[in-house]
Parts: sequence; C-alpha cells; structure tokens
Amino acid sequence: MYWLRRAWAELRNEVFVLPSRTLAALWVAAVLLLPLVYGDAYVLRILTMTCIFAIFAASWDLLAGYTGQVNFGHALFFGAGAYTSALMSLKLGLSPWATVWAGAAVALFLGFVVGYLCLRLRGSYLSLATLAFPLIALGMLFAFPDFSGGELGISGLRRLVVTPMANYYVASLSMLVIVFGLWALADSKFGIVLHAIRDDEVAARASGINTMRYKLVVFAIAGAAAGFAGALFAHYLRVAGPSTLELALSFQVVIWGIFGGVATIYGPVAAVFILYPLTEWLGSFRAFGELRLLIFAIIVLLVLLFMPRGLTPWVRDKVETQCPRCKQRNSFFRKLCRLCSAALKAEVSGAQRLVGHQ
Amino acid sequence: MYALLAIGFSLIFGVARIVNIAHTAFYMLAAYCFYTLLVKTGLGFVLSGLIAVGAVTLFSVLCYRLVIEPVREHEAAVLIATIALALVFQELMLFTFGGHFLGIPSTLEGAVRVLGVSIPYQRLLILVVAGIMLAAVWFVLYRTRLGLAIRATANDLEVANLMGMNVHRVAMATVALSVSLAAVAGVVVAPVFVVDPFMWLAPLVTMLAIVVLGGLGSLKGSLIGALIIGYVEAITVFAVPAGAYLKGAVALIIMVAVLLARPEGLFGVAFEEER
Amino acid sequence: MLRSFIVGLAAFALAGIFDSAAHAQTIKIAILGPMAFVQGENHWAGAEMARDEINKAGGVNVGGKPRQIELIRADTNEIQSVPDATNAVERVITRDRADFLIGGFRSEAVLAMQEVAMDHKKIFLGAGAAHSKLGQNVEDNYSRYKYWFRYTPTKDVDLARTLFAVMNSIAQQIRTELKTDTPKVALLAEKAVWTQALVGAAQKNLPAMKMEVVGLWQPSATATDVTAELSAIDRAGAHIVFTMLSGPVGIVVGRQMGERNMKAVAWGINVEGQKEEFWQAAAGKAQFVSTLDTYAEVEMTPRTVPFVRAFKERYKKMPTYTAATYDAIHMLKAVIEKENTLDAEKLVAAIEKIEHVGTGSIVTFDKRHDLVWAVGKTAGIAVQWQDGQKVPFWPPTVKGMKPFKLPAR
Repeated sequence: MYWLRRAWAELRNEVFVLPSRTLAALWVAAVLLLPLVYGDAYVLRILTMTCIFAIFAASWDLLAGYTGQVNFGHALFFGAGAYTSALMSLKLGLSPWATVWAGAAVALFLGFVVGYLCLRLRGSYLSLATLAFPLIALGMLFAFPDFSGGELGISGLRRLVVTPMANYYVASLSMLVIVFGLWALADSKFGIVLHAIRDDEVAARASGINTMRYKLVVFAIAGAAAGFAGALFAHYLRVAGPSTLELALSFQVVIWGIFGGVATIYGPVAAVFILYPLTEWLGSFRAFGELRLLIFAIIVLLVLLFMPRGLTPWVRDKVETQCPRCKQRNSFFRKLCRLCSAALKAEVSGAQRLVGHQ
Repeated sequence: MYALLAIGFSLIFGVARIVNIAHTAFYMLAAYCFYTLLVKTGLGFVLSGLIAVGAVTLFSVLCYRLVIEPVREHEAAVLIATIALALVFQELMLFTFGGHFLGIPSTLEGAVRVLGVSIPYQRLLILVVAGIMLAAVWFVLYRTRLGLAIRATANDLEVANLMGMNVHRVAMATVALSVSLAAVAGVVVAPVFVVDPFMWLAPLVTMLAIVVLGGLGSLKGSLIGALIIGYVEAITVFAVPAGAYLKGAVALIIMVAVLLARPEGLFGVAFEEER
Repeated sequence: MLRSFIVGLAAFALAGIFDSAAHAQTIKIAILGPMAFVQGENHWAGAEMARDEINKAGGVNVGGKPRQIELIRADTNEIQSVPDATNAVERVITRDRADFLIGGFRSEAVLAMQEVAMDHKKIFLGAGAAHSKLGQNVEDNYSRYKYWFRYTPTKDVDLARTLFAVMNSIAQQIRTELKTDTPKVALLAEKAVWTQALVGAAQKNLPAMKMEVVGLWQPSATATDVTAELSAIDRAGAHIVFTMLSGPVGIVVGRQMGERNMKAVAWGINVEGQKEEFWQAAAGKAQFVSTLDTYAEVEMTPRTVPFVRAFKERYKKMPTYTAATYDAIHMLKAVIEKENTLDAEKLVAAIEKIEHVGTGSIVTFDKRHDLVWAVGKTAGIAVQWQDGQKVPFWPPTVKGMKPFKLPAR
C-alpha cells in the first residue's frame, strides 16, 4: 500500500506536471496494453515492425544526434545483426534466443571497427564514408552466395515465439527497455559529454575528455542496439535478405531521426510510431495505395518546412516553456514556474529575442 | 560522365553547403524528359536535348526556392529534404512511366575502330560532350564575374556576404549550374543506358565515392576521382572473379582507404572547425 | 484548413468501411504484386480478365448459390521493401478477409509472404517466383506449407530442362544448315545466383549433346556495355550465344549484337526480351534474339489464342507470364465448384489431383506443389524476334509455330 501511494505521488509530482512526460507515460501504457484491447493480427504485425524500427531509429539518434556523427550507413548494423543471427541459428542450430545476442555482439564489434576507421573524419566526410560500409558488405554477400544465400538471403529461420501476440510483446518490451536504456544513458553524465563532443570537440578534448574513447563507445552501443533490432527483424519475418543492408533502409532511418528531432531519443521513436503506420495506412487505400511513398515524401517535406528542427522539439516548445530563471520546464498553461515561481511569460525585448534566437 | 555528376555535386556542396542527395535524381529527370520529348513527341535530338536540360534546370531552381531555401539554416533538415525530393521524383516517374526499362535510340549510329577495339560513335559523343562541358564549367568558374562570386562564396560564405555579394543569388546560380551539369549527363547517357525510375541510385553511390575521394568542393579532385574510380571499377570487373558484384565495394574500399590516410580527400580543403 | 482535412480523412475511412461491408457474399481473392512494375501489372490484368469473365457468366457456384468474385488489389511494393510485402499479405488476410491469395514475384519477398499466408492457413498460388526453396518447404514440412502452390513458372531446375530441349533443336538446325558437327556455344550469363546452376548444367550437358562450349562471359545484370564480351565471343567463333539474363543487360546484349552484325544467334532466358517493348528498347537492333516465353498466338492449349487476343484487345499489349493469375483464378473456380466448398483443406487435396487446362500450360502439381514438367504442357514456348515481331518457334508440335531463323552468313 505504501509503495502504491509512493508510486502515485511520484507519478503526480514528476510525470503529470509536464505534458511531455504525461504523453510519454500514456504512450508506454498504450504500447503495453494495446493487444489486450485490440488483438487484430494485422495491427499487431504493423506495431511489431514499428517497435523493431523504433529501436533502430533510437540507436541511430544516439550516434547521430548526440555525438553529431551523422551515420549514413546505419543499415550495416541492422543487416549484420540480421545475418549473424540468421546464420548462427540456421547453420549451428542454436536457439534464436541465443543468436539474437550474438547478432547484437557482432554489430557491436562492427560498430567498433567502423568507429575506429572513421575517427578522423568529421561532418559530411563521415556521413559519406559511412554510407560506403553497408554497400561494401552487400557486395561481399553477393560475391559469396554459398555462404550468404546471395540475393535470396537466408530463409526458413525459427521464430522466437509463435503467436502474433507473443511476438508483439517480445518486440515491444525489448523496444521499451532499449529505448529507455538509451534515454537514461543520453541523460546521464555520459550524455552530457557526448553533447560537448558534438558542439565542440576540440574544447572537449582540451577539458581532459578522451573524445576518441567516447566516440568509439557510442558507435559500439548504437551498433549493438541496431544489430539487436536487425536480429529481431530477421527472426520475425523468418528471412534475412540483402534488403536489410540496402541504401533505402539507411536513408529511411535518417528520415525518421531528423523528422522526429535529433538528440532526443524519443523524437525518432515518435517519428517511427507516426510515420510507419501512416505509410502502411496510406497503402491500404486501393485508390492511391501505390502512391504511398510519394505521399510519405511530401508529408516529410511539408513537416520540415514548418518545423525544421523536427517534430518533437516543435511540439514540446508548444506545450512547454522553459523557466527563464531556473531553466526548469513547465507546462504551457502555467504562468509561474513550478519550482522557483518566477514569471514565465516575461516580457522579452526585441534585442533579447534576437540573442535567444542565435 | 561520372565526372560531370561529381563536379556538379561538389559545386553545390562547396558553395551552398548542401549535401544534395537529389542530385542524381535530377539526372534521372533529365533522362526521362529527354525520352518523352524524343520518342513521344518526335522532336529532334538536339532540340529535345536542349529543352530537357533547360526544363530540368528551371525546375531545380524552383525546387530550391520552395523546399531547400526555407530550411537552409538547418543542415539536417536540408539533408532529408533532398532525400525526400529524390523519393518524390522516383515515385512520380514510377507512377507516370511505370517500372519499365525504357530505351532510347542512339544519337549517332555506327562505330569506329581504334587500336582494334570498336568504339560506338555514341560513346565518343559522350566523351566530347563531357569534355566541352568541363571546359565550359572551368571557363565560367575562372573567367567570369559569376565564377569569381561562386568561388568567393565557396571560400568563405560570411566574408563574401559582408563584401556585398548576394549570397542567396550566388547559391541559386550554383544550383542551376550544377543541376544543368547533371541534366546534360542524363541526356547524353540516356541513349546508352536504359532509363528507369531507380537509375539514380547507382550513380549516386559512385558519385559520392568520387566526390569524397577527390575532396569535397574541389573541381580538380572530382575529375581525378572520377578517373580513378572508373578505372578501378573496370579493372575489378575483368580481373577478379565475381567482380561485377564487388566493383562497387572495391571502389568504396579505396575511398575509405584514402580517407583514412587523408581525411579531407585527395584535393579537398580541410575545413576549419566551424563553431 | 486543418478541420476540412480531418473531415476528409474521416469520410475516407468511413467510405472504406462501407465499401467492405457491401459485398458480403463474394469470394475474395487478393492479387499480390508489385503494382508499379510490369510483373504486377500483368498479375492484375490477368486477374481482372478472369473476374470479369466469371462474374459475367454468373459467378462461382458454391453449394447451389452463385457467388461473385471480388478482387483485392494489394501492392506489395516487394521490389523495394520486403516488410511492406509481408504487411500487405497480413492486411489482405486479416483486414480484407481474403479467401485466396495469388501473386508474388521477388523470391526473397515471396519466401516471407509464404510464411504469413501459411500462418493463417490460406491457399496461396504463386505466380512469379521461380526459386525451388519455395517448393522445398512443402516437401519438408507438408502440414504447414501445403497451402502453397506454384502456378507459374516451373521451378528453376525445370527451366533448365526446357532451355536444353530448345537448344538441341536449334543445334540440329545449325548442323544441317551450316554443315558442322559440333556447333560452338558461348555462355553469356549475368552475375547472379540463379545463373550459377544453369551455367554448371550447361558446361556438363552441352558436350554430351555434341556441342562445344567455347567460354563463359559474365556481365553484371545492369551492365550498359558488353562490347568486350561480344567481341571475345565473335573471336571464339560461336554459333550460339546461350543467354541467361534477367536484368536490363538483356536489352544491351540484343542491341549490341545487332550493332555488331554478329553471326551467332542468341538463345536462352532474356527476361527483357519477353517484353513487348524490347524491340523499341533495343533500338530495333535485336534481330534474331530468341528467348523462353509463355504466351504467343499459337495453340498451346485450346484456350491460348482467345485469351491472348482478348488480352491484347483490352490492354494493348502481350501478356507476360505473371498474367497466369487468369488461369489460377479459373482453376480455383473449377476446384471450388467440384468440391462445393471454400474450405482450404479440401481444396488443397483437390488441387493436388487436378489437371487444369490453362491458357499457357496444362497444369498438374507434384509433391512439392510445383508444376510437373512436360514439353507442350508446362515447358513454355520459345520465341524469336524477327523484324520487330516476336515469333514463336518451339515446341514444333504445337500448331501455329514458325521457323527459327539464323543470321545470314
């Protein structure tokens, strides 16, 4: 009873005070409870895919958003996870429950390798160089078809679990754990260091931070998470094919990430949860189902024109304001800060607004 | 051919700091435009070629004004705006023309034998057009006031702005120039290649490899990068078993290797940390 | 603005609901294919024709009640995205309540689609993917995969048998016309997994068939220049170029062979060469290029000619092999009326026993639920491009075949 009351107080004081946190809590509840209310197999399938891609997008954001290493070849880790897990469970006969971790481990290793190779690159060079890696891997796969199945990929994989409901929970629980794990990581001291590296690497190094090590670790973590998503994907569809390494997937994750707002973790996740079902829903109309990619691209363009920083930061700015004195966030209907009771809507003079804008 | 694409891409990046993923999509658009004019309406080669290049260039400026310029401040947004643009083009073409491979009759028939190897005239034509275009670009960049402005902006955007240049207009001129290069490439190779809605993906990767190899924003680098990548691809196809798959991979490995040794590419300017 | 947008969306959603409620007593058949591509277009066109014919004639008779056929057009987008394809399958089954599934093209995607359909125990008639793994699944795990049948094409191994049968007849012609005992064959295969088995088989079988293999050349599927390969083939003095090409390189080969006035004649698989647009795409240079194909205006079966004519009338082009959705639907109608049920288990048993006379083939299924291969039944036909026309020339027993021509020496 005490714990219940304690939890309730915690909820009321920490979660419900801010609209964004309330939204997040509602979202978690919805993800967990949805199948109990609405167990349609089609909806579950879409949401399972959504969850898997959400892990993928969040892992990209940790790398690109927080350290500013905009990876154009994130599909490498996804594909590596998928292929490793598929090969191990098929050729060695291991349980998929074990090989999923192996997939993540291989992706982690690849993360190290790619990170190491790209240490000296920055900006657009890094993006374009990383673009190359999944394509190199793809070339290798095609060159050794006996091992990789060539363009057909590896099929006939065992499932993790059988029913759609169980599959959904495997995907959604791992998604929640990983996403909140990444979020906690990004919010910790570690995350602050990453911010520093992105904003000014030279200064960060000058303050005694081993930036190389941090960048490598982030590459590895992001790689592992993406590899895990890839392995889940392979066992869910029971096929691991070259489409997991294609350029389209790398671009897709960049779109999700930037659409949702970088350096937030929850942004890309929200973007996946909005965009993926949306495209699928558009595709279900017979009249213009074939135009879904077109509509998708146009929506992305329009959203960008109005909220160039991405969707979630824009929403957050609408529903919350930052206290000018103590920098705590407040919901939009408050006039006074909830902690230091300073006036929130202080008159901002023209000059100040300009400075704030920079 | 790749050199034309690479130089255009490199220009846009150098001057406007736009990583233009849609660059090769414009190349595809030009090829389709050329196809429609030539095969469907029966205009002559020269006329339809010119119209195609002109139309695509105008269109690109329009796209730039409507889509790219409003989000110029946000580098990431520009990036996915160009990806989205490319997707839009791809889907539009897919919708209007379907996923067929379309063929265009050669501009010039016949072949000439040089040292025992027969070279069709069409390929010579590509070579000649590419040469002319390169010369023209060089002329524009180094012998005209506009070229001076472009180079100045590429060097230092803020200072150029302070010197009283209309940086926006310069950026727009660069976009037009670079896309017209892509369009010319699309028009001249269309009779050799087949035209389909996904034809922009393959050259995109090669182009990126070339540009990064040669150094972003460097004309000379792009040209030499194109030569290197072109030869490497040809050699892998003939020398290595299963080479056709690996040709892209080998080209990219070379690019990565060069980057490791020289992070700014062969002829790139090392950018100062931008703060 | 925003409000009208939302209202519009709601109206759409409602329209969708009523739309599906209106046709309760129909048989729903989902046509799965990449609708923006030739394969999907043909999937859909063939299905549309079958639906209109059957519905006009009163529908399908189930238990004394005539039922109309309702088609569900599902764009799998499988060429671009495998997850999209599986989502489409799941959608037509659980949302649109499809009774049967027909279609599929890219093998990687069809393998994943097969899994979803089998989960729901829905009959899935494949019409496009050739990989033998699909049938292997049926043999390995019958109770799970028995709902899968491959209506077209024959599995990749049988494709090779057709190729060699035709090769033999071409070789005979060359022997008599050119007075050589062992015609020389150049293998020209694109670099892909599916050609490897064929190349191996060719190197083994052709010498046994008294032909000499002069070499193997492997351009990439998207190569835009095969001049080097062709001049080497010329130098080797080949009589036949055995093509194994599925990509756009097929156009290039046809075109450049014509441009070079090659003495050798091309035979094999050239997927681009099956298309109506090939002649134009190859800039009118592809004289004497020949390929394996499915449809022509010849009497493969009594139904071929009327179907091909009607198809050409309606869509202004020749059907390609994925238009076999037409036959698949007719076969479904036949078994449904025979068994008088829509129950999948009974229908599976019935399809296993059926011999269906379609428009491009006479179909029986083996224990892998693949087509049983037989010349004149499921082996398909061979065609050659002559002066802008696709001319069928094999199998010679079929009425309406024309002679195969060799380039002038």
